[in-house]
Amino acid sequence: MKTSRLFRNALITTLVIAAFVVSYNVTDADFGKLFRNLPNGQKLITDFLTPDVVTRDVETRTVSIAFPVPCDSAPAEADLPDNGPRLVPSVNCANPLEKFTLEGFDLEPDSEVVIRWKLPDERTMTAIRTNTDAEGYFTFEVEARPIIASANGVASRLEVDTLTPVGKFKPSPTLKEVLDAMFVTIFMALLSTTIATFIAAPLSFLAASNITRRGLIGSAVYYLMRFIFNVLRAYDPLSMALLFAFWLTFGPFPGAMALTVVTIASLGKLFSEAVENIDPGPVEALQATGASPIHVVRYGVLPQVVPDFISYIVYHWDINVRISTIIGFVGGGGIGYLLNLYINDFKWNQAGTAIWAIVIVVWAMDFLSAEVRKRLT
Amino acid sequence: MLRIQNVSKTYPNGTQALKNVSFDVKDGEFLVVIGLSGSGKSTLLRCINRLIDPTEGQIFLDDVDITAAPPAKLRQIRRKIGMVFQQFNLVKRSSVMTNVLSGRLGYVNPWTSLIGLWSADEKKRAIEALGRVGIADKAGARADALSGGQQQRVGIARALMQEPNLILADEPVASLDPVLSHSILQYLEQLNKEGITVICSLHFLDLVHRYATRVVALKDGIKVFEGSAQEIDRARFKEIYGEEAQEVRAASV
Ligand SMILES: Nc1ncnc2c1ncn2[C@@H]1O[C@H](COP(=O)(O)OP(=O)(O)OP(=O)(O)O)[C@@H](O)[C@H]1O
Ligand SMILES: [Mg+2]
Repeated sequence: MKTSRLFRNALITTLVIAAFVVSYNVTDADFGKLFRNLPNGQKLITDFLTPDVVTRDVETRTVSIAFPVPCDSAPAEADLPDNGPRLVPSVNCANPLEKFTLEGFDLEPDSEVVIRWKLPDERTMTAIRTNTDAEGYFTFEVEARPIIASANGVASRLEVDTLTPVGKFKPSPTLKEVLDAMFVTIFMALLSTTIATFIAAPLSFLAASNITRRGLIGSAVYYLMRFIFNVLRAYDPLSMALLFAFWLTFGPFPGAMALTVVTIASLGKLFSEAVENIDPGPVEALQATGASPIHVVRYGVLPQVVPDFISYIVYHWDINVRISTIIGFVGGGGIGYLLNLYINDFKWNQAGTAIWAIVIVVWAMDFLSAEVRKRLT
Repeated sequence: MLRIQNVSKTYPNGTQALKNVSFDVKDGEFLVVIGLSGSGKSTLLRCINRLIDPTEGQIFLDDVDITAAPPAKLRQIRRKIGMVFQQFNLVKRSSVMTNVLSGRLGYVNPWTSLIGLWSADEKKRAIEALGRVGIADKAGARADALSGGQQQRVGIARALMQEPNLILADEPVASLDPVLSHSILQYLEQLNKEGITVICSLHFLDLVHRYATRVVALKDGIKVFEGSAQEIDRARFKEIYGEEAQEVRAASV
């Protein structure tokens, strides 16, 4: 007796360890990576924490000087001013591949600076971007590349744009894009929840034992409905979405359809349980008055279950917003799809905006559904 | 008006709740059914309007066989039989008005009532019914906002909406205190005097003496007594309630 228990415990322990080893290997677990890759993560997290939500109008001011390459190929800038916004190169001409320092004075402070060459044939070539300090000063080392050589006695010009944010902050294009997509997701969830409610609510009565399970036909209907709900519930929303995507091509519509089917099953089950949990007393009382079965349901059952139904509906809307985000990720449109695009384009700031939008909406829906449920009980 | 003929009921789990019960109820009677808990009183009352189908026997209401009635006919019969329950059985979340109106479902247009529309006539009738049990002012309240005694009066008003010839009351006062018990039974007595036959199950013998025109006693599903309340002497009492019930009787009669 004792030895057999010892043996059993040893066997169980061995199996647990074996299972752990296998799962460690198949998931390629490498916990050290969590720390080694921290620098990568840091950049990502910084971007996510500074989502792209607002922009300001930008005022552009340009100053420029002629800069012959090589020297003597064209006249240099005649006389450089010594006050006002101005560019001062360390030399007033250069030979190809020579390096020189370019300084800017009294430009717009705290602005982005774009330094570029304007070639004699009007083409432009951006050399570098930097920033002015609080005094409107910048300095940068520039290389005189062969391509900027003068042509027909006309020198290339060094142009410097200062980009200064002015005016009020306003929603960025990304924010608008994200809000539009969020709207699609929320309403995709609402649409599927609504359609599912209209289908699940009547069906749930057929799947409630206290309403339907009478006689042979009743029992058959009851078990059939239960079976359908259970089978549909067995599919997870994601594979259902892929199924519909093959049928209806990608976009929000197949996503909403998949969500609808899953929601019918889930609400149908929840609703039918609510119906089964009613107080049978009023139902009996109404039967005793000679009311027909449909009136018994209308006056005896409905008033008892409607608050439960509403709270399940709001709760499911909440769930469906989350699910439709994930479905969107695999091509179902809405915010998930947009987030996927941003991530594929390495637009981490924008991805940050989308993720924040999801977090806020999910939190708000969660709060809303909790409030509604609290009010109804 | 009512003839109960060799009625037996065996529940699916094998419990024999009624065994070959027969008796008649005459028009205008206030018949009280007594018996220990589990003796089959509820089962008997529910067989009369077929909330429970008797396993054997027949029940005739004015020579119509209730036990053989198909569903539509049964609803028509039930329409004329009001029922009052121990637990009141109101829809707690609905208004008092809706609860009372729902007693009328057997009569009104099935379509309009399905969407919750009631004619002014029906509403007037409901207010009158509430007036008769003294709570017309509660029409707008939610049913669960009322006290037990008030809820039972709503239950009676609902039964009144059926314009019943017969009221079945299954321990209508078992959840109420003695003062309220009398007030509820007085309403039933009043209705009885206006010509509605009442079949009522009761626990307390003092109430039985006070209201019953006739008594039927059940024990283990068997009818052990039928007669007036006065005929229930010490020996009969022992027969109905068993030896140990002696003390309780002294207290309750
Ligand atoms: N639905 C049911 N299924 C099985 N047995 C039942 C059912 N309802 C009642 N019984 C049994 O039938 C017998 C009679 O019950 P009934 O409710 O008619 O008694 P009662 O006299 O009304 O009792 P009480 O005074 O407690 O209400 C009891 O033994 C009870 O356990
Ligand atoms: Mg009972």
